[in-house]
Order: sequence, then structure tokens, then C-alpha cells
Amino acid sequence: MTHPRIARRSLLAGAAALGATPALGQAKPYAGQTLNGAAFQSTFFEYLRGYFPEFEERTGARVNFNTQAFPVYNQRTDLELSTRGSALDVVNVTFIYSGRWIGAGWLTNLSDFVADRNRTPADWDAADFVSGAQSAMTNAQGQTFGFAWEAGAMLLAASRADILDRANQPMPTTFDALLAACDAVQGRESMTAFVADRLHHWNWIPYLMGMGGQVFRDPPGNLTPMLGTPEAIRAAQWYADLLSKFAPSGGLSFSDDQAMRAQMSGRSMFRTQAITWLVPLAKHEESTVKSTVRYALMPAGPQGNYPGSNSHGLGIPAGSRRKELAWEFIQWALSKDMLNRIVRTHGYPSVCRRSVITGEAFKTALTLNGQDVASLYLQVLELGGRSGYMKYRTVPVFPQVGDTINRGIDRIATRQQGAEAAMRQTQQDAVQVLTRAGVRLDGG
Amino acid sequence: MTAASVRRHGVERARTRFFQLCLAPSLAVLAVITLAPAVFLLVSSLTPLDLTRPETVGDFSRPLENFRLMLADGRLGNSVWVQAKLSFWTVLLQLLIGFGLALLLNSRDRMIEALRTVFLIPMVLPPIVVAIIWKVIYTPDISPMHWGLSVLGVTIPSLITDPDWALTAIIIADTWQWFPFTMLMTLAALQMMPQELIDAAKVDGASAWQMTWHVTLPFLRGVLLVAGLFRLIDSIKAFPLIFILTDGGPGSLTEVTNYYSFQQAFNFSLLGYSSAITVVLLAASIALSWVIIRAIGWGHRD
Repeated sequence: MTHPRIARRSLLAGAAALGATPALGQAKPYAGQTLNGAAFQSTFFEYLRGYFPEFEERTGARVNFNTQAFPVYNQRTDLELSTRGSALDVVNVTFIYSGRWIGAGWLTNLSDFVADRNRTPADWDAADFVSGAQSAMTNAQGQTFGFAWEAGAMLLAASRADILDRANQPMPTTFDALLAACDAVQGRESMTAFVADRLHHWNWIPYLMGMGGQVFRDPPGNLTPMLGTPEAIRAAQWYADLLSKFAPSGGLSFSDDQAMRAQMSGRSMFRTQAITWLVPLAKHEESTVKSTVRYALMPAGPQGNYPGSNSHGLGIPAGSRRKELAWEFIQWALSKDMLNRIVRTHGYPSVCRRSVITGEAFKTALTLNGQDVASLYLQVLELGGRSGYMKYRTVPVFPQVGDTINRGIDRIATRQQGAEAAMRQTQQDAVQVLTRAGVRLDGG
Repeated sequence: MTAASVRRHGVERARTRFFQLCLAPSLAVLAVITLAPAVFLLVSSLTPLDLTRPETVGDFSRPLENFRLMLADGRLGNSVWVQAKLSFWTVLLQLLIGFGLALLLNSRDRMIEALRTVFLIPMVLPPIVVAIIWKVIYTPDISPMHWGLSVLGVTIPSLITDPDWALTAIIIADTWQWFPFTMLMTLAALQMMPQELIDAAKVDGASAWQMTWHVTLPFLRGVLLVAGLFRLIDSIKAFPLIFILTDGGPGSLTEVTNYYSFQQAFNFSLLGYSSAITVVLLAASIALSWVIIRAIGWGHRD
């Protein structure tokens, strides 16, 4: 692999970020060591990779950082962590696996590192990370096992606001308004009004909560599923109707990328999804909707607004033999300086440090088609952090419950079952998988 | 016993020992790479092994619990039924198409030989490539099939998300990939068919249909049954097509048993439960193979 040439100024800036670290007061304290890292593919790591030579120059260590496709990374890392092996020193702490990995004791408690002034200078400022993004990285005792490098904040994007304007439809702010807008634009200029990817267990939950339902009774303490309630049945019917009436043919099998491309090419109008998948509508070179895209907060239901938010962090496996070096790497990669540089240079839209989000560089990067999307992003992250409604997603058994939700919504949207029968079966399936996983449920 | 026969027995024993010694390294390697995982599978099926709960490792307090849970698992039962339908239709279609094409391609003509090679392409493609090809064909917004039909004024639903078509879509793709296998085996057998049989039938005035039904088919019976057996066992291992095309959906309409077992182990970390499903699946495959081999009368001469 080739690294871009590092300008002297960049090198000095990187060194300044590292220079604050006491352990690096010595000359190349990690010379001869190799740091092994892994994460799923993301533009963030592509950008960061360009700066690795600075870290290597400063510490003397070599960085061997591999990225894989999201599901591949999760499966491999899940197995690697479960063996408590030492093959990896830095890993991505995936949101939906965070509860599982932290709960099983597979990650290192970073609170000890942060509290130790010999390891972490005060101006690294761990409290600067937005609480909503950090909530998935902590355990019930408030100990931290990762620091967020990416946050997903669910927003609403309309790819062709010009069509909306011509139909006299404002950006919808409620579920009812979303339906009305979909009705108004469906079929115009061969567009479908809505598009979603197939992960209903992410896309549907804000609609479930907006109608007063929830996934578990009181996560993480009480994981009794609540998927057969009248609210869940109503929300499932509503969302399945949205998909079956307004989504493209075959939309139920769409991946994230397919759904994004449907919007980018102007074939679909609305999508409610994490910002990472919506920013390319305004920035991607292949987007045909750069000048017509419009953003808004996720519409609210009768019981409130619960946009999905998630975050992925960097953590250290419990089995790593180079924890000190790994911590140096995390501090360097997620320092204010590095994140500001990545935002300034590449326009990266998903950082989790408040000081960076509220800075000019980020605001400029997230001013999309004239709209201040940065403030929408921060609002969603803070909403998730304040009330903790995203906790349901970080429990160790969420993957199997999420799978039952996916299949339940599929059954309704394809008319295999009515909403009531499908959700009662989903509830029954969820109880079964939770019992199998040894989870104690109410009435069990 | 004479001295000569004693010497002969001694030589026989030495030869047998020599053969055993020669075989020993291969058998040892085979034992490590096949028996050891099978033993691990069997042992872990007797525990509630869950990667996220360290206390479940080596917990043999309720060794039959996984098997009891399987009896009450409706989704598992559904996956067995889906598997049965998938296996039945794919094996049947692959035998019919493979046999039919082999009859048509059983010629020394150069063009036909070239065509034979073309027909073999699906079988030699990596399974994941086959799955991606069919993903493109089945995805309406990029599909040449959907585009072609729309030009003709015909609109069809997305086959992989339509509950009436999803399993059929998998069956079509699997048949496309594997009919060349049965075609190849049938073709090889056809080329070894004694000319006298054909000549005798012709002398008796047999029509083409009678020739196929009364001469060719009985001659190929053994080959077709073996090909069918191979395809049946392989159909139980169907994975890439389902993983890429449908993820077992919509709902659980295309979720076969090994895919369900994979999910339990690698998506949910329930290795114990997944092992129990796999043990039963393995036993069922062995039993099925045994029944079919008995039916064929493999190893017995008429």
C-alpha cells in the first residue's frame, strides 16, 4: 500500500496532538511493535489510513489495520473476541454487538485509561464525546469500553423537493403528513414515494415508538418482548402498508446501498435512515439530485419523535497484549485535532465530538444544498442520549430479536399474514429465542 | 499345515501390516480433519453453548435440552419443510433437464461438442458468482429480464420478494447451476452404451421414444440414481443462493435447515443449539443416503 506524502505541517500538527501524551515523551516508545486493528469498511478509516505514517513516525510502531464488509467484520470479530485471543489490539465496537461484547467482558475498560493522567492528558477531553453516541459504549456501572468514531442519526431525506413543492407538500413532520406526501408524489416522474432497506429492525422501530410501542419492556433490565401489543400491531401494519404501497418493486430485498442509489438516481423520493446514507444524495459525484435534495428531522408519531441513532466506537479487546499502544492509537485517531482535520479535508459527516460538531468546519461540511444538516444531526444524537430510548438495541440478544422483527414485517408487507397474526407470531418467536438464550422474562 | 503354507501366511500378514502402515498417516489426518470436528459438534450439541455466556461451556447438566427445544421450534419445522420442497424440485428438474440435454448432445459433431462446454459453465462458476448473477436477474431496477419483459408490455413482481415466487426463484437458480452435473454424468454413461443394444433395438423396429424408454433409460438407471443421490445430498447444503438472494425470506419462506442452523451459530452465537440441529441434519442425510443406496442396490450385481 502507498501512503500519501505527508506535508511537514501535517506532521507537526499530528505530532502536536500526540505530544500531549505523557507516554510519548520518550523517543519512539513502541518501536518494533505492530498494532493490529480491524473495523468494517468506512470512509472514516480510508481517510484515517492516510495519516497512519504520522502515528508510525511518532511512536515507532507499525499499524496493520484491516477493514471488511460490515457483516463479515462482525462475525469474525465476534468469534475472535469470544476466544479472548490476542490477534487484535484495536477493534470497532459495533453498535448492535456492543451490549454483547461489553457484557461478556470481551473488551477492556477504558475508564481506567482515561482516569490515569500518565496515560491520558486532561485536554484529550473524554467528556467532549456526545452522550448519545457514547451511551452504547458504556455498561450499567457507567464504565466506558469504547469511544465513538461514527454516529448514525436518523433523518428524513426527500430526493426531489422540487416535485414536493409542485405538489404543494411541505417536508412531512408527522406520520400522517408523510403518508399524505407519499400519496401526493407516488408515480410522479416514474418515482416511488418511499424506499427503505431490508433491515426493518432498524427502520421500523422509530415508527413503533412513535405509536407508543416498544421492543422490550424495560431494557436492559427487563427484556420481555413487547411485539404483540396493540401498539406494535398498529405500527407494523402502518409501516408494512408504507412499504407495500409506496416502495419500489423488490424493495423488501434492498440493501442500504441499493436504497441509497434509488434516491440518488431520483427513482424514489423519501427515506428515513441514518445520515451516512443520506449525505451522498447531496455530495456523491453520481447523484442526480444534488440540487433538489432536502432534509428534515424524522417525522413524529402520535406519541412523539424517536429517530434512530447509533454509534460505532474504537475499543481494545480484553485479550490484546498491546493495550498501551492501542490506547495511544485510539487517543490519536479520535483526538480533536485529527477529527477536525478529517472533517476539514474530507468533509466526513459523522463525527461524535461536540466541539467538532459545533465547529465551523463541520457546519460547512454539513451544509447540504443550502441546509444546515449539522444541527439536525446534533439534535438527533442528543435526543437519543437524553432519554436512552436506543438502549433496546445494545442488549446482547438484540440480533436474534431483530431477526424475528425482520421476518414479521416481511410477512405483513408480502401479505402472508395479517398484522395481528404476524406480530403475535413475532412475539412468540421472540420469547422462544430469548428463552433459548437464557434470558429471564416476565411470567417465565 | 505345511511349511510352505505357514510361510505364505507370514508373507500375507506382513503385506497386510505394510498396507496398514502406509494407510495410517492418511487415516490419522482424515481423523483429525473430519472426525474431530464431528466429535466437537456432537459434544457441543449436548451443552447450551452460547459464546456470550462463558458459563455454558462444558455445561452437561441437561444434555438433551437442545433436542427438546428443537421439537417445539416451529421455525425449525418450517425450515425442514422448505428444505424438502427445495430438494425435491431441484433434484427432479436437474435430472430431467440433465437427462434431456444429454440425449440431445450425445453426438460427435463439433458444434455440439462446443455447446456441451458452454452448458458446463454454470457448474464451474464459484457459487457466490452464480448467486450474484441471479441477484442481478431478480432485482427489478437493474434486471435485464424485467427490462426485456417491460419492453414487451409484461410486468412481473420481484420474484425474490414475492411469497408465491421466492422459493421458485431459488429452485430456478439452483437448477441452472447444477443441471450440467447430471448432464455430464448421463453423457459419459451414454457414450459407453454398447452399440449392439442400439442396433438390436433398431432391428426390432423400435421408435425413438421406445428406444429411450425401453433401452436408454434402463441402461442409465444406475447413473441417474447416483447423480440424483449426489444432488440430493448437495441440495441439503444449499447456502450461497439463499444467503445472497433472499436471506431466508420473505418471512421464512426460503429458510432451509442449514441456513437456520448457520444463523443460530454465527448471528446469535447459540453454538450448542446450532450443533444439535446440525447433528440431526447429518444423521438424516446419512439415513437418507443409506436408504437410497439400498434402493439402488449399489455394490450388488444383478
